[in-house]
Amino acid sequence: MKGADILSVLNFSAFRPEPDDPSAVWRRRFPGERTVLLSLSRSSASWRGVQRNGKLGEGDTMAGELKDILSERSFQIKELSDHGWCSVSLNTRYVISLEANLSRRPGSEEIIKTNPRSVLGARYERGKRYAVTHNPETNSSILLACDEEHIRKVETTLREPGLQIGRICCGTYILLRHALAQTNVTKSGEKPTSFFYVVCCQGSVCALVQDNDRWTELRSRTDVYEGAPGPILELLTPFKARLPQEADIVLICDNPIPQLPESLSALFDGKKVADLTQPDLFWNLLAQN
Amino acid sequence: MQIHARYIDDFKTERKDIAPPLPGYLRLVPICFYLSVVAAILLNALFAVQWNQAKQAKEASLRQNRELQSELDGIKQQRQQLETEAKKATDLANWVEGSRPLQPLIVDIARSMGQDSSIVEMRLDRSPDNASQIQLSLRLQTVNPRQLDQTIQTITNARFRAYSPQQSMERGEVEYKATLFWQDSSRGQPEPSNVQ
Repeated sequence: MKGADILSVLNFSAFRPEPDDPSAVWRRRFPGERTVLLSLSRSSASWRGVQRNGKLGEGDTMAGELKDILSERSFQIKELSDHGWCSVSLNTRYVISLEANLSRRPGSEEIIKTNPRSVLGARYERGKRYAVTHNPETNSSILLACDEEHIRKVETTLREPGLQIGRICCGTYILLRHALAQTNVTKSGEKPTSFFYVVCCQGSVCALVQDNDRWTELRSRTDVYEGAPGPILELLTPFKARLPQEADIVLICDNPIPQLPESLSALFDGKKVADLTQPDLFWNLLAQN
Repeated sequence: MQIHARYIDDFKTERKDIAPPLPGYLRLVPICFYLSVVAAILLNALFAVQWNQAKQAKEASLRQNRELQSELDGIKQQRQQLETEAKKATDLANWVEGSRPLQPLIVDIARSMGQDSSIVEMRLDRSPDNASQIQLSLRLQTVNPRQLDQTIQTITNARFRAYSPQQSMERGEVEYKATLFWQDSSRGQPEPSNVQ
């Protein structure tokens, strides 16, 4: 036993998860410590500090390549955290797809991280890191595949200015899961629900059709928009013909996009749009979970 | 359909030696450690206070001991003085007691004085080394030439025998010196040997 181990027991840090322990939520990893949250896309980066009390602090957004942004603003980003720990949300070089008949063995959502081949079978591709969300009512699953090379590149780029990576996740996938958890609250056997989920995060868009609890269609694109909702509407237009009659639109964005709810309602013939978007919702999801 | 919110999927390159947090009940270990540290500090403080108190008590006891010792020395000195005085008193009593057999002799000598005679000085000395001998020195103021004979006769009647008497006369005073011996010790009279 090393002196550091004894010290960690005496200062109770050994009873908390390690800063890069993926099994623990962010706020439990850094009690009383400032951290920074990063959201990266191909052409921009946003960041937000998390204060010692868990509340959100200062933040900013900057356009450009990650390397250029870090060369200019790494000091300010690092200054927002006590020891340089950051949580990174990737919004490029990933694929969200709808799959059927994936393995549903107990713990498959965990196993896919260490042994994806056992869950994905022939769908497994080398050089990808996966996450999966199973539909409890059907055999369909939402599969997220991130490019491993891009992840390693981001890790290397962020470590150069002295940042320590506590987590790398996909912002669009997080918002999609949050929207699914918020809207699918009926017990099994009750009346099935139909929704059209629209998720926008840092230029990426994901649309999922849920028809009577069945996930029927999913479309995901990265680096679609930069501000105006036009490209989003273009991406969603093909769903107009295939959308179930009773499906409501559920919109969730990392930041409110002006005129998007109204435009969606107009595009889909006056369908009701439930906008789950709230200021700082995305940052709070990253900071609390 | 219910989809539960769960933790955020992490895609970073995993470190191999990530240790899970220690179970909560093991918090007792550092808690006990800190309690023992606090207890040690408190006990040490308590012991220090008690040590100081014991030190002060010891100093007070030593001081009291010194005071009592000096008081005892004073009492011993007083006792020694009292014993000295008692010894003196005992000696005086012994002397008075020892001189009691000579008292009839002195009374007889005094009563032997006639009307025209008086004792100027009379002295009876007895050496501790030879207690049976009494040195008599008598100076008389008299006009009666037979006064000294009467006195010597009185001494003889008192069963003392004069040895090597010396007699002189100067300016009307008769001086008589002699060594007296107890004349008849077989009668069982106490010998004045304890007179100093």
